[in-house]
Amino acid sequence: MSIDQRTLAERVEESKDLHSDSMRDTHAALDEMVDVGHERIAGGVDPDEGHQLASETSRLLSGGVMGGGALAAAGFGAALVALVGSPAFASQTTDVQMLQTSAAIENLAVATYQVALTLPFIGGASALPVVKTFVTTTMNQHADHAKAFNAACITLGGKAQNNPDPTLLAVVNKAKPTLNGPAPVVALAIELETGAAETYVAYTSALSNLNARKVTASIMGIEAQHVAVLLAVQALIAAGHPDLITLPPPLAQLPAAAGSVGFPNAFYKTDMARPATEGVLK
Amino acid sequence: MTDDRRANDTPIQISEAELNAMTADMDDMHHASLPALRDAVDEFKQLADDLRSHAAGDGAKTAASRRQFLFGSGVVLGGLALAACASSSKTSSTTTATNAPTTAVSSGAGKLTGDLAIVALAAGLENLAVGTYGAGIAAAKAGKLGTVPPAVVNFATTAQSHHTAHAAAWNAVLRQADKPAVTGVDKTVKTGVVDPAFAKVTDVAGLANLALALENVAAATYLNGIGLIQGVAGIQTAASIQPVELQHAAILNFVLGQYPVPNAFALTTGARVPSDVIG
Repeated sequence: MSIDQRTLAERVEESKDLHSDSMRDTHAALDEMVDVGHERIAGGVDPDEGHQLASETSRLLSGGVMGGGALAAAGFGAALVALVGSPAFASQTTDVQMLQTSAAIENLAVATYQVALTLPFIGGASALPVVKTFVTTTMNQHADHAKAFNAACITLGGKAQNNPDPTLLAVVNKAKPTLNGPAPVVALAIELETGAAETYVAYTSALSNLNARKVTASIMGIEAQHVAVLLAVQALIAAGHPDLITLPPPLAQLPAAAGSVGFPNAFYKTDMARPATEGVLK
Repeated sequence: MTDDRRANDTPIQISEAELNAMTADMDDMHHASLPALRDAVDEFKQLADDLRSHAAGDGAKTAASRRQFLFGSGVVLGGLALAACASSSKTSSTTTATNAPTTAVSSGAGKLTGDLAIVALAAGLENLAVGTYGAGIAAAKAGKLGTVPPAVVNFATTAQSHHTAHAAAWNAVLRQADKPAVTGVDKTVKTGVVDPAFAKVTDVAGLANLALALENVAAATYLNGIGLIQGVAGIQTAASIQPVELQHAAILNFVLGQYPVPNAFALTTGARVPSDVIG
C-alpha cells in the first residue's frame, strides 16, 4: 500500500500533541485534587464549603442507584468531581450539621405524632386500635432515633439538637387546622416520614464519620417501613375500607393494590431530602 | 520528527502489516505513559481512604470491622437456621481470616475482593430472591398453596420485579469494573435454607415467612455492607435498596399478622458474607 509520508507524519504529530495535552491537563487536575484533600486533612473544611460538598453529594445521590452508571456516562472528569463529593472529603462539621438536622426531623416527628394522638380519631375513643397503636409506637421509635442522632452528634463534638426542624414545623403548623379526619393526618405523616427516609438515604453516603453513617443507615429503613404502612392505610381509607385496617388483616378481602401500594419504587429516592443545614443549632 | 522528514513528500511504500506494527508500537507507547496516571489516581484513592479512616477515628477498628464482616460466620437467615451452611461453605472464617485482608467471593467473574465481593454477594442474594418469588408464584398458579389472595399475588410479583431491578443495578456495578455479571444465586443460602424451607411450604403463610426471612437478610446484608463498602457509588446503591427491602418486610409482617415495624433500628443480624458460594 502507498501512504503519503507527509500526511502520515502530520497525523502522528497531531496524535502526540493530543496525548501530551491530555496527560498534562489530567495531571494538573489530579494534583489539584490531591492538594485539596491534604488541605482538608490539615485544617478541616469551611462550613459553607462543607455544605456545598454535601449538596453536591446529595445532588449526585439524586441519580439514585445508578450513581456508578452516571459516573461512567459522564466520563472521567465527572468521576473525579464525584470522588471529591465522596464521604472521604466531607468534614466532621458537615457531619454534625447532618446529625443535628436529622435529630431536628425526629423531634418534629415526635411532636407531630403527639398532636395526632390528641385527636379523637387517632388517639381517642373513635380511633382504630391498630392506627392508635401504630402512631404511639412510631412516636416512640422517632424519640429513640432522635436520641441516637444526638448521641452520634455529641460523639463528634457537636451539641444535641432538641428542637424541631423549623422548616418542617411550619409545614405541620400550616396543616394542623386541616387535620379533621384520619386521611389528612395520614397524608401529613407520609410526607414527614418520606422526607425523613429520603434525607437519611442521602446522608448515608454523604457522612464521613463511620459511626454516624451506621446510625443513619440503621434508621432510614425504619422510616421507610413507616411510609409503607401509612401508604397501605391511606389506600384502604381512600378505598372506603378502613374496616380492613386490622392486625391480622382479612387477606382475602384486601384489594389487590394493597399488596404493593406500600413500596412504589424499586429504589428509594432522595428528591425530598432535607438540606444539611436546615436543622442545625443556631 | 525532523524537518528533513517533514520535507519528504515522496509517498512511502509500506505493507499493511508494517503499518499495523507501527500502530501497535504507538499504542504501546501510549500505554507506557498510563502508569504515571494510574499512580496519581492511586494516590488520590489512598488519600480518600486515609481521610475516611481519619474521620472514623479509628482506622484499625474499621479494618477489623471490615474483616469481621467479610469473615463473619452469620449463620441465621431471619428466623431460619443456617447451620447446614457452615459446613457446606467452602471458606471457613477461622482458616481464612489470617490469610488475607479480604475474603474473595467466587462468581462467574472469578475471585472478587473488597467492594466487588460485596457487590457480587448482593447480586447473588437478589437473584435468589427473584428465583424464590418466581417459584412461589409458580406454586400459587399451580394451586399448591391453596387460595392465594389477589393482594398477595400482587405483592409477590411487585417484590420480584424490585429484586430483578436490584440485581441489575449490582451487575451494572460489576460491568463497570469490567467484571462479568453474576447470573447465579447465593448457593450457601439456597441450599442451606431456601430449598429445605420451600419444600415445606404448603400455604401463603409459609411462603410469606420464607420471603420475610429473605427480605430481612438482604436488608441486614446491605446495612452491614454500608459500614464497610469504600466506594461512594456502592454505598449509594446499598442505601437506595435497603429501605425497599425493609418495606417488603413490613408488608410481609402485616400479611402474617405481625407488627409491621417491629424494631426502632434496622438490624445486621443474619447479614450474609462474601464467603458465601455464589454461582
